[in-house]
Amino acid sequence: MTHGLQRLTRSAVLTALALALSVAEGLVPLTILFPLPGLRLGLANLVTVYALCRLSGREALLILTARCLLGSLLGGNLMALAFSLTGGLLALAVMALLVHLPGLSLFGVSIAGAAAHNTGQILAAIVVLGSRAPLVYLPPLLLCSLVTGAVTGGVSMLLVQRLPAPGRA
Amino acid sequence: MRSPAADRRRPTLWDGLTALLVATAAFLLLAALQSEPGESLTAAVTLDGEILAEYRLEEITQPVTLTLDELSYPLTLLVEGDGVSILHSDCPSQDCVHTGKITQAGQQIICLPNRLIVSLTGTHDLDFDAVTG
Repeated sequence: MTHGLQRLTRSAVLTALALALSVAEGLVPLTILFPLPGLRLGLANLVTVYALCRLSGREALLILTARCLLGSLLGGNLMALAFSLTGGLLALAVMALLVHLPGLSLFGVSIAGAAAHNTGQILAAIVVLGSRAPLVYLPPLLLCSLVTGAVTGGVSMLLVQRLPAPGRA
Repeated sequence: MRSPAADRRRPTLWDGLTALLVATAAFLLLAALQSEPGESLTAAVTLDGEILAEYRLEEITQPVTLTLDELSYPLTLLVEGDGVSILHSDCPSQDCVHTGKITQAGQQIICLPNRLIVSLTGTHDLDFDAVTG
């Protein structure tokens, strides 16, 4: 019981944190510097990476889904939900696989996650528009994901190592 | 749940390879999407899969503004001899306005909230050489 309560609280706090990060990121959009639809730093991904490394895939999935649902209630619409959810789920799936591979650090995991997120968003846009026109945005987005993925990868590396592992604190 | 990635403190060779893979995918896709530069450019405005308007840019001498009021977020397009841009849009994201002016074949302005696509295609003057995408 106490264990279940601990998990619930932990997931709730992390969801709130992810939500706050994605809202904060929306206040200073990267697209002002570089006009590319869908470009984001992906700070909320820090929480996903942390949950994957220190909690479990299941909790990471729950936190991600809750964040996307709440995020679309806060500022977006149904279409924004479709985008963030497809991108987020694809990124989570890729990172959940890669995080257990020997040889990769969180840099590689985050870069692959960012690239998967952008691919998912573009796929959602293709479905919504019924046209493959959005594909033109994918190459520049993938190149940007190298930078955004490396930045969030570096930060998540610090985060995972500096924060005490939950349950043992 | 142990993960080797979580305990590493510096990037590895495999990280570099991952980055290289993503970059290669980007460049391959870019090359695949590169459209044939034509002798003249055609701008097509597509709403929900249907073509609303088409302009051959070489025939545009005076800039043309096209106002689409019937959309969920009304917007105004500016068609000039050297490209197309969106002057104004009522949508919240403004991605289409920030895209700026598109001037080359293969470029697009996409307004997701309206499901509107403005695309430039290069056309050769011969009719049978038309490329559809």
